[in-house]
Amino acid sequence: MTHAPATHGSTAREPGTRGAPAARTTGTRASGTPDRHVAVVDLGYGDAGKGTVVAHLCDRAYRSAGRPVRAVVRFNGGAQAAHNVVADDGRHHTFAQFGAGTFTPGVATHLSRFMLVDPLALAAEADHLAAVGVPDALDRLTVDGDALLTTPYHAAANRARERARGSARHGSCGMGVGETAAFALAHPDLAPRASDARRPRVLRRKLAAVRDALTADVGDLGAPGVDAVADVFAAFASAVRVVDGAHLHALVREGPVVLEGAQGVLLDEWHGFHPYTTWSTTTFANADALLAEAGAEPAARLGVVRTYTPRHGPGPLVSEDAHLAAALPDAHNGTGEWQGAFRAGHFDAVAHRYAVEVCGGVDAVALTHTDAPGRFPLRVCRAYEVDGERTTALPADTPGDLDARARLTGRLLRAASELGPVVDSAAWPETVAQALGAAVTLLSSGPRTGDMTGQVVLPSGNN
Amino acid sequence: MGSGNWSTNVYDAAQSYNARTGRSAFDYSHKAHTSVPRAQWKAHADLDPFGVGTRESRDSDEHPTSLAISVLFDVTGSMRSVPVTLQTKLPELFGLLLRKGYVDHPQILFGAIGDATCDRVPLQVGQFESDNRMDDQLGTILLEGGGGGQKRESYELALYFMARHTELDCLDKRGKRGYLFIIGDEMPYGAVKHREVRQVIGDELGEDIGIRDIVTELQRKYEVHYILPAGSSYVGDTEVLGRWRELLGQNVIELDDLDAVCETIALTVGLAEEAIDLDEGLGHLKDVGAVDSQVGSVSRALTAYAQGRSGALATTQSLPGLDDDGAPGTTRL
Repeated sequence: MTHAPATHGSTAREPGTRGAPAARTTGTRASGTPDRHVAVVDLGYGDAGKGTVVAHLCDRAYRSAGRPVRAVVRFNGGAQAAHNVVADDGRHHTFAQFGAGTFTPGVATHLSRFMLVDPLALAAEADHLAAVGVPDALDRLTVDGDALLTTPYHAAANRARERARGSARHGSCGMGVGETAAFALAHPDLAPRASDARRPRVLRRKLAAVRDALTADVGDLGAPGVDAVADVFAAFASAVRVVDGAHLHALVREGPVVLEGAQGVLLDEWHGFHPYTTWSTTTFANADALLAEAGAEPAARLGVVRTYTPRHGPGPLVSEDAHLAAALPDAHNGTGEWQGAFRAGHFDAVAHRYAVEVCGGVDAVALTHTDAPGRFPLRVCRAYEVDGERTTALPADTPGDLDARARLTGRLLRAASELGPVVDSAAWPETVAQALGAAVTLLSSGPRTGDMTGQVVLPSGNN
Repeated sequence: MGSGNWSTNVYDAAQSYNARTGRSAFDYSHKAHTSVPRAQWKAHADLDPFGVGTRESRDSDEHPTSLAISVLFDVTGSMRSVPVTLQTKLPELFGLLLRKGYVDHPQILFGAIGDATCDRVPLQVGQFESDNRMDDQLGTILLEGGGGGQKRESYELALYFMARHTELDCLDKRGKRGYLFIIGDEMPYGAVKHREVRQVIGDELGEDIGIRDIVTELQRKYEVHYILPAGSSYVGDTEVLGRWRELLGQNVIELDDLDAVCETIALTVGLAEEAIDLDEGLGHLKDVGAVDSQVGSVSRALTAYAQGRSGALATTQSLPGLDDDGAPGTTRL
């Protein structure tokens, strides 16, 4: 449920031009501690387990006392992310805006300028973290002043629109993330940003503009007044350090940092299956951009997949198998009021390979839920059959051409999956490595941070 | 809450943030500035030193080994926006002291220093608190922003109050002095004037008390430090620094980054308590998310202190990424 698909409106926007995926060699090096920056991205529709992977990287670096992770940097999405982490002592938290490494002492969180920050949800999340023994999460948080702020007006408009769609819902989380992005595109000068929270007059003016524009669009929002929202945003800016771009440069210099992606590559705004996408660049592109601006080496690129392929809400899931979802209930992923049912299918090698390609390649793969094959016979979807044709690869050549994406989505919704034989538990890492063309270097078998086996083998020196 | 859809209720969030930031720091000051003529300004009743008897730092069942820590800052005009920043930063002090175990049971008192020759409210002193009530006291400090142009403020009046009107269990029961930090940018007057003491505190003194005498008396109770922060008028002023060094020796700290004031105080206490050495303390700052520039500021401010030499090195540099872009002297919130 880490995704909040919302359709792209008609807003004209130049698609990102990220070119063809670079061929990446995959060097590996046995090492207990990452000494490079690592970017973690979900190669599916979200829910693969980025949270546990990030938590593990931070925990491991801390324990091995080599170079602890300096910070977790969030580079896309907003408060709708839901990265579940269960600490080894059983404490559970669903990380939404705080980095999933926050249980590890001293790991800071930085919300980069690509983030959509929800100050209200942030307070509630900080309270929960305090309740599970992390009282200083807010002290360790910094927010880029350019990050967009999600207001109660965006959330209210989001819900009003989703309700009006009736049965044609997109599966939004109802938190206004898509609305925040859309409003900023349409009204760049009126969209509130984190730095505005320190300028009372500017903030009020922008909040009123958001409220008025969205009320005109969808009718009465039933949201709190501008004064109340301005007060709490100002309190947010006093409680949290709002910084400029130089702060990230300092973090990166002091590093290493873990760059934590939200949602999944298959939901990417330009490469995903339109219209079931999120208003967010879910590939490594933002992480690459942030490191490049800081003058740093590119991060090691870690893709995350499950031994099966889950998704929330409507949209293509070619290898879906209702028995699978029933046999492998997800403790932390139930049916959401706004985003719909949690669905599951067999490991969709076609879709995950496509994800690897459109995000420019990965250096290594983290494979989660390696205990699932012991509980249900899991297979690999090797090909699709669409309109009488067999295909093993999806076209990755039209990023941003939303019409072409939508036509592809239509085909995927009609596609049947061709499943291979049941894969033995022990054979899963090798099977996934072959399917995706990258080494599987991290395995997780349960919800806890410590439920990971295998060395953290991160590539080095291949840039 | 497993859904990750954390509450987006505006009222809950306001309460949550305000509980953390010691609420909107300057409510009282703001009201005074906006709704009361200057001639009628007065200290909030909780902070008025007149006739209060004593401020007490006491042991309790919950806090059996209390340690008195007091922070008094100059609120005159020459401090520019420094008091406002201090009001937002100081609530973190308590947590910093506790989090790393520098002190088991700190009791913190906040106060504000003005100029008795021309200010309406030359002295404000709160109570020693071991919980969030200290935030309330910070919030009720009136930022008068007055003072004169004579490079002197009534620090000596504050020193007198702290020497004669506080009682500390750490001292009385365990022979351990408390800590007093004065944050300011000017010098004290040469003597505690009996007329001002009568007016502001209500004591009848037969005669003035020399500044050195009151400092000596005060140092029996407190380890006294003076911090000269960046952003004030006389930063780096050798006359001001020299005067305080005559009075306090090595306990004079120049700080080039006001955002690091809590960290500097916490580490000073940690060092003095021998709970840490400087490197450890700087490591702790990183643990709680301070960036290099902040850690550098604290390090520069405290290196000499930690080595026991007289005075401390200071440099002036802006704080990349952490500078407030609000207009100087404006009260945020």
